[in-house]
Amino acid sequence: MALPLPPGLTPPEIAFICEMELVTIIPRQRLEGLELLGGPLKPLNPPQRASLPLWLALLLKRQRRANIIPPPWLSPDSLAAILQFETESSPDAFSPPPRLPPPPSSTTIPLSSPFLPSSTADAPADALPYHWLELGSMLLEAAPDDFDDADEVRKLLRGLREARMAKLRQGVEVLDAGGGFKMNGVGGMELGEARSFITGVVDGLRKIGKSREEARRERERENGYSPSQNYEDDEMDMR
Amino acid sequence: MDIDDLLAEVAVDTTPQETRDLQALTRAWVAERVAPEMLAWPGSLMERVLERVRRQIELVEDQTGSMDPKTNFKLIVIQTELERFKFLVRSFLRSRLRKIDAHPLHILALHTDADEMHPLLSPAEHQYLTSHQTLLSTHYASSFLSQFPSSLQRLDDTTGGISMVDKPDEDAAVFVRVLRDVGEVAVEGTEKRFEMKRGDVWKMYDITPGVAGSDRWARDEGQNAVHSGERTK
Repeated sequence: MALPLPPGLTPPEIAFICEMELVTIIPRQRLEGLELLGGPLKPLNPPQRASLPLWLALLLKRQRRANIIPPPWLSPDSLAAILQFETESSPDAFSPPPRLPPPPSSTTIPLSSPFLPSSTADAPADALPYHWLELGSMLLEAAPDDFDDADEVRKLLRGLREARMAKLRQGVEVLDAGGGFKMNGVGGMELGEARSFITGVVDGLRKIGKSREEARRERERENGYSPSQNYEDDEMDMR
Repeated sequence: MDIDDLLAEVAVDTTPQETRDLQALTRAWVAERVAPEMLAWPGSLMERVLERVRRQIELVEDQTGSMDPKTNFKLIVIQTELERFKFLVRSFLRSRLRKIDAHPLHILALHTDADEMHPLLSPAEHQYLTSHQTLLSTHYASSFLSQFPSSLQRLDDTTGGISMVDKPDEDAAVFVRVLRDVGEVAVEGTEKRFEMKRGDVWKMYDITPGVAGSDRWARDEGQNAVHSGERTK
């Protein structure tokens, strides 16, 4: 019964999460409202646009009951601009993620992807959201006829993916035991691919550095620091 | 703060409870899948979700008889969503079971120490753990342990500087998505300081390893769980 998978999300699981992203559709058929487990579904009245989770949009698309409107960032123009930014303007960092909605009040749970509306028809056109790669390839596979120029989009996605993979691989050099580093703009699937490698390297380095770290602590203790004082120092640091 | 507390506080929010539960369950599942440590059992969330799944199954059973194509399609949508929910719940529970199987004694000790309002394990998980552990130790005792000198028979010996109780690597590296501004996070032993802002994605490791006892996996802080985010707020 226990899950045989290693920790960290597998690509099918990341795709599963991505299928919760909201996308905009134009229904072709009427559908009555439904009480779903994830909240009520509003009735669909063609030709009014509606935002639905991707899994439902794909189901409707497959049965030819709706058309999916690709998000603005998945247009050839935006992708070309982002690709140019990735390769020329900032060859070392990922392009920034879409801007977040205003922070929620302190009592609500802040939303994060896949529940941010980053792939609907009114999403920003100039930034790749967290699930860009998965969403792009799923839409291209299920609804190529809803794109103006599916081949061009496919080509640009491929280019982006390669440019960004190269960056991720280059980034391996900054891995060291101790601390952390910022990976803003990285995508869900990219993270999933790199996760086991990166965590493996970091944990390996940490084990190598462990004896040195312990020796250092030992030395501090001999220099007259008692463990309790050490603890307090840490508390001070954290504030 | 626990996810349940947060949920209780947002009753005034306009998003329906169902949608918020889906968000919370997804986050709990992701956190459980990637965190090396066992995370607290989201009791009231799971109760609500399981109850809804049960009602939905009843609804499907009631309506399957209908031959009307319109109802039929509605049922397909409902069933597809039901399967997705069942997958979430099942995968969540199974990844917890995996941790229970890997480090039973460690988790049992943590569960015993945990505060009663926020138990680490659900009653069913606790029962599974204890009866499985009893079976195992009886088996070990009857097959070979009883032949050993009595001082060597324990399975949870901590003398001699080495603990027999296995525990997960609490300092393992994790990815973190910052959901709220955290402020500065310091790394013990080095001069490094980070400013963690909402929306950032971080790769984190080795945060204050020396004070592991007070560290917590603050599941409400990060999508992928933040190590020791609690004390820095």
